Amino acid sequence: MAGISNAQVHEVREITRIERIGAHSHIRGLGLDDSLEPRKISQGMVGQLQARRAAGVVLGIIREGKIAGRAVLLAGQPGTGKTAIAMGMSQALGTEAPFVCMAGSEIYSLEMSKTEALTQAIRKSIGVRIKEETEIIEGEVVEVQVDRPATGVGVKIGKLTLKTTEMETIYDLGNKMIESLMKEKVQAGDVITIDKATGKISRLGRSFTRARDYDATGPQTRFVQCPEGELQKRKEVVHTVSLHEIDVINSRTHGFLALFSGDTGEIKSEVRDQINAKVSEWREEGKAEIVPGVLFIDEVHMLDIECFSFLNRALEDEMAPVVITATNRGITRIRGTSYSSPHGIPLDLLDRMIIIPTIPYTEQELKEILKIRCQEEDCEISDDALIILTRIASETSLRYAIQLITTASLVSRRRKSTEVSTEDIKRVYYLFLDEHRSTQFLKDYQDEYLYDQGANGQVTETPEMEVCQ
Amino acid sequence: MCDSKHQTDWLTLVQNAEKTALLKNGIMKVHYKMPNGQEMVEEYSPETNVLLRRAWRKQGLKEESHWEVELGDAEPQFQKLETIGIVESNSSPYVTKRLTKSNIEWRIRNLPYDENVYRVTANQEDDCIVISTTNKKYYKKLEVPELQRVNLRPCQSNIKFTHKFKTLIITYEKPKEVLELEAAVLKELKSVKTVKDTDLDCKTS
Repeated sequence: MAGISNAQVHEVREITRIERIGAHSHIRGLGLDDSLEPRKISQGMVGQLQARRAAGVVLGIIREGKIAGRAVLLAGQPGTGKTAIAMGMSQALGTEAPFVCMAGSEIYSLEMSKTEALTQAIRKSIGVRIKEETEIIEGEVVEVQVDRPATGVGVKIGKLTLKTTEMETIYDLGNKMIESLMKEKVQAGDVITIDKATGKISRLGRSFTRARDYDATGPQTRFVQCPEGELQKRKEVVHTVSLHEIDVINSRTHGFLALFSGDTGEIKSEVRDQINAKVSEWREEGKAEIVPGVLFIDEVHMLDIECFSFLNRALEDEMAPVVITATNRGITRIRGTSYSSPHGIPLDLLDRMIIIPTIPYTEQELKEILKIRCQEEDCEISDDALIILTRIASETSLRYAIQLITTASLVSRRRKSTEVSTEDIKRVYYLFLDEHRSTQFLKDYQDEYLYDQGANGQVTETPEMEVCQ
Repeated sequence: MCDSKHQTDWLTLVQNAEKTALLKNGIMKVHYKMPNGQEMVEEYSPETNVLLRRAWRKQGLKEESHWEVELGDAEPQFQKLETIGIVESNSSPYVTKRLTKSNIEWRIRNLPYDENVYRVTANQEDDCIVISTTNKKYYKKLEVPELQRVNLRPCQSNIKFTHKFKTLIITYEKPKEVLELEAAVLKELKSVKTVKDTDLDCKTS
């Protein structure tokens, strides 16, 4: 049954796939083989073999689910694939474990304190797998019979006959059930399941024995076998919710509606304590399992000293998730202090982290990445143009080169060509400045800009880093 | 060896439970609170010492859980159709189970078919008794917790069944181990002090 519903979900997704391409939408996994050896080019990942292997090992830790509260730091220059590796990890992890992705600056909000935002993020990345037993009725519909009162008003009376290969039973229907049967357009020959606790009806398909009822059937019609054995079955259902969701539902001031509006505000620590106690009680009784997931904090240098010391403490909790952080800073000031530290992270926290470095791509790797991006953006590119683009990428930056793909393909479409040629690349290269040329341009025409009286060129020299902080 | 271990398992569960006994309308009711949070209620006939009913309440994730009857008459349920929306029609077959001194008995009422359509087999793999019909109208798997508690599997030679007045009666002869366990539990219950129902009554005048 799981297979069937999976297939259904897949189908639906294909139809309604939103055609938008993000910076990392070409990443489908970490591109490792079964023995965690990285393949050169796979699942959208290119090069960065050491880092990917390391990420694969971390993934193993997470999948085991035993070790909690580890922190991983992905450190490397801009455009060396840190976020790509994190995305790859989330893809490889699948839907089993929760993966929460946030940027370091997200925690600064006027509505809640920094530590509250961090706590919520941490609790979002811990799943609780709850097992429950429900009774379902599964069978092939033999007959649906609904009697309406002659006056048109009043209670409808309904009967539903279901069968399996072994038995047949008549059920009486309540008003609500009649209505949902009508809505689902259930008719004789359908194979359906009804959840007894919630009354939810799902149609599995049509029975094979009824395959010849109609000459023409729609493409969606799926034929299934008539179920076997008893009509009523006990089935164990498993659902995963995050600790944060349980928190929100149980914090009395907000109620579960807050989950949809996202306006959860601060949650009292008493509520959290109670929930922790309850969850550990469920765990002892075997009703629930903890699934520690992954919290990914991009641009982690944007956190300040308070957050770092909070993280230090939070990582020691046995329910802590694996925290993956990424930064592109070298030795810099720790936010909120005047101390400098590698990656802008205090040394005591750095000491608790395993650090995965990413290294700049080689020219060959750049070429492969650009090729993948061209495919992702549905853009045909000539070999010469690709070589030029690779050259641009190695001399300026990979991000700039990727920007040029989109713009160049627009330019080539304007001249009604199917392929991006060197001319197009050249054209957009002059149209759009990269960071270096832009700086150069500013230097050259410094005096003609506004508010420049008295400045002596020193201003443009100011590193951008400082501006960010 | 293994049998005796399981036997003591059920016995220790009963022994460790918090027990309250009550005599009401000539029926002895015993309430058990198990260490794992489950509740069980048994009703004995004081004259014959035969278990009449047994029901369980398992602590679910939600607070409100209802009694599940393992043995004896089911709780009458009203308003079920309106709340759940689907319920077996009252002409459809239903099972009741009861114990006698030497047998476990199931009665399946509302089965109008002839006696020769029924097949009652002991299924060793699924650890249950399977009732099927050759006309494919009825099929039921009956679990036998009494046997599971002494770690025995259902055995075909102990099964007998008859069909009378639209009712299929299946009897399973209790093996020696089951009888021993019942005797041990009864002995344990003798030590529980029985509260007379009149003691609990609130005097209104």
